[in-house]
Amino acid sequence: MEGFLFWFCGSLMLLGGVMTVVQRNAVVSAVWLVFAFICASGIFALLDAPFLAVMQVLVYAGAIMVLFIFVIMMLQGPALAEERTLLKLPMWPAVAVPPMAVVVMLIGYLRGHGTTALGAAVPAGFGGPEMVAKLLLGKYIFAFEMISIVLLVALVGALALGREERALPWK
Amino acid sequence: MEITLTHYLLLAAAIFLTGMVGFIIRRNAIVMLMCVELMLSAVNIVFAAFSRHNLDAGGHVFVLMNFAVAAAEAAIGLAILVEIFRRRRTVNVDDLKTLME
Amino acid sequence: MESHTTEIMLRWIVLVPLIGTAVNGLLNRRLPRLMAGLLACTAVGISFAMSVMVFLRLTGLPAEARLVTDTVATWIGFGNLQVDLGFAMDPLSAVMALVVTGVGLLIHIYSLGYMAHDKGSPRFFTYMNLFIFAMMTLVLGENLLMLFVGWEGVGLCSYLLISFWFTDEANAAAGKKAFVVNRIGDFGFLLGMFLIGTTLLPHLGAGEGLFSFGVLQHHAGTLAPMATAICLLLFVGATGKSAQIPLYIWLPDAMAGPTPVSALIHAATMVTAGVYMIARMNFLFVLSPTALNVVAIVGVVTAIFASTIALAQNDIKKVLAYSTVSQLGYMMLACGVGAYAVAIFHVMTHAFFKALLFLGSGSVIHAMSDEQDMRVMGGLARKLPITFWTFIAGTLALSGIAPLAGFFSKDEILWKTWSSGHPILWVVGFAAAGLTAFYMARLVVLTFFGENRASSEVKSHIHESPLTMTLPLVVLAVLSVVGGWVSIPHFMGGGAQFEQWLEPVFAHHEPLVEAVNGVVEHGAEHGDTTMEWVLAGASLAWGLLGLLAGYLVYSRKVGIAETFQKLGGGWPHRVLLHKYYVDEAYEGVFIRPGFRLAKTVLWKIVDVGLINGLIVEGSALVVAVVGSVLRLFQNSLVRFYAWSFTIGVTVFVLYLSFSG
Repeated sequence: MEGFLFWFCGSLMLLGGVMTVVQRNAVVSAVWLVFAFICASGIFALLDAPFLAVMQVLVYAGAIMVLFIFVIMMLQGPALAEERTLLKLPMWPAVAVPPMAVVVMLIGYLRGHGTTALGAAVPAGFGGPEMVAKLLLGKYIFAFEMISIVLLVALVGALALGREERALPWK
Repeated sequence: MEITLTHYLLLAAAIFLTGMVGFIIRRNAIVMLMCVELMLSAVNIVFAAFSRHNLDAGGHVFVLMNFAVAAAEAAIGLAILVEIFRRRRTVNVDDLKTLME
Repeated sequence: MESHTTEIMLRWIVLVPLIGTAVNGLLNRRLPRLMAGLLACTAVGISFAMSVMVFLRLTGLPAEARLVTDTVATWIGFGNLQVDLGFAMDPLSAVMALVVTGVGLLIHIYSLGYMAHDKGSPRFFTYMNLFIFAMMTLVLGENLLMLFVGWEGVGLCSYLLISFWFTDEANAAAGKKAFVVNRIGDFGFLLGMFLIGTTLLPHLGAGEGLFSFGVLQHHAGTLAPMATAICLLLFVGATGKSAQIPLYIWLPDAMAGPTPVSALIHAATMVTAGVYMIARMNFLFVLSPTALNVVAIVGVVTAIFASTIALAQNDIKKVLAYSTVSQLGYMMLACGVGAYAVAIFHVMTHAFFKALLFLGSGSVIHAMSDEQDMRVMGGLARKLPITFWTFIAGTLALSGIAPLAGFFSKDEILWKTWSSGHPILWVVGFAAAGLTAFYMARLVVLTFFGENRASSEVKSHIHESPLTMTLPLVVLAVLSVVGGWVSIPHFMGGGAQFEQWLEPVFAHHEPLVEAVNGVVEHGAEHGDTTMEWVLAGASLAWGLLGLLAGYLVYSRKVGIAETFQKLGGGWPHRVLLHKYYVDEAYEGVFIRPGFRLAKTVLWKIVDVGLINGLIVEGSALVVAVVGSVLRLFQNSLVRFYAWSFTIGVTVFVLYLSFSG
């Protein structure tokens, strides 16, 4: 069961990722990305991380992608214009080098080491909200606070960047 | 077949590479940012997989942090993008060449 | 090491003239000229007074312990290499110090009158004081390095003072020549010092100064195997500074400087630095009979060589210059035969009468409105009486006529040459003495006797010099007469006090000398003094003969002089007049090839090609090339940057995974 679900969610996510990259239309790309995130949520669920699965949908698919689509819609016209070609042909080798290098390395690694099994059985409540909350507000309280500051900074920054230009007194 | 840790890691690697290639290839700035999100997702999967492997929920906490950072980065990135668009009427990164001599 | 007492005054003897230099140098034209001169004289006077005081202190000490030191600071303290900034006065230094400051003081006073009309006289006195400072450092330095500092300093002052009237190109060239030739000698000196350093340094004990004279003497045994090399190298330095063959060429040209400079530096003091250095290092020279022979031979050859040139010179100062070279040769001869005390004795007497002669010639030149050619002089005896009579005293002293100073010193040199077994050297020295008397008589006759041959305008200005100039002349004349009486030799019934005074400095090394040379040379036995009387009498007679011959040839019978000139087709005279064409030879052998080398190789190839082209422009080119390559990375294409990120990440990942 688990195997089937993994291959199902995994390949769908990969499909979503590839379609995101390949699609010419920005909106279509965005939708495919949402699809990919939902599949990612499924992967999280497989990994005994229910809380993360839910958060993935809420935050990524629900908030971030909405923001993306919002911006695409706002910048009508040029943003939606179809791009000519993905990439000029002679450039492909250069672009392909990094991924190919990584792939080769991974193959080499696999040959050498084989696969590593997942760990032992999972205790009850692992990955659930209670456990995550205990850690978040306990051991990792400092990171928690810092991340809230990060969000605050991002908020202020976005606001400052996003507003209309007003006639400033000293201009 | 049994799904091992390696499977998850390879999946994450594939998604990461996809995002990376997309980041280089696309000209539309918004789509580039979306590819960045893809890459971040791949990393999240890696963390979750290891967290399951080591039975340490700290990985989940990191993923949460990652969510927040991704959100913040998307917000700021898009805000900058909007500003650029306002000035230059384009989101095609190939048109942003003023630093060239 | 001998026991020694400390005396703070030593540093002041050296420093007071430096203060004089500083004041005169910094205030320069703001001081009235007379003030500058008086300031300089006072500085030297104080130095002299203090030298006398320390000298008296020395006399109070027992003979073996006559050493007064003053260590100011540690100059070099580098592991085993220790050199102190210190001064020391022993009997030898005391003599030199008294001569330098005493005669120096007289010449400074003379300069008040001589340079009175010169606008640059504050600068003159600045340099003169600087010279005294450097010379005293040389003489009172307690180690070889301090001596060398003074050595270089006097070379510098010589340059500054020779080209004092530098607006005339010839004077500037003379100054440069002096400095460059000196430098060549100094190269040898430095090599000698390095040799001492490398030989001695491994054997030094803790806290022993490397070049300190006491230490060097103590370790003379260690230095013995290298003694010949070291001494010859040091002697090269001496040939430069003391104008011996082959580096004497700068001294006659140095006459381009003002006459007080010629008197002080190129007669009385600086040129004797070489003799002082050899006397100071006697403990090392004594270990190398080869070096001593070289010194003696070079000295006596120089003596006769220079005397012959002096016979044909027409410039009054040039005659005296070659005379100085000749007399320095005598001093070297004395050192070479081991009679160091006599050499120093001759230094002292020579300082008196040579300075006198130079100052006298200055008086003559001053009277003749700066004319220096003897052929247009004459009849000045009546017009310049004081100058004339003092000049006669100097001439008699130089010619070795008893009982004036020169007789005792020069005769003693010749005696020591004979008695230490160098008859051939004696003959050469003897011959040169006769020539000395001859050319001095020639000088006196041409200058002071007969009728004046100058233009009427010059004739009308002839006047005796002012008191500031004549007073030193008189003092020096008195010294020239009585100066020799401090060391009347034993066979004449005297006490030879001078030699006794210097004896501790030159003794102490019989055992080592015996070990190295196998035999210690003893002077002639003191039983039979007949030979001494004979030789002394011969010297005296020969000197008188020379004077007489010179007088006869050049006075009334003018025809005889001209016959001499035309002798042998006239070319001997021309050769002598042109100084054996030595300068021309040096020019052809060394100077012109040197210029050519510099121009073709060093300038074109090394300077323009290598340094300019390769290094300067080359490095700029490298920067430009690297820059243009790096520029390709800054193309402002976002996607290129993105690709660079991925490449970087990939490299990093690969590195991590393969190094783990």
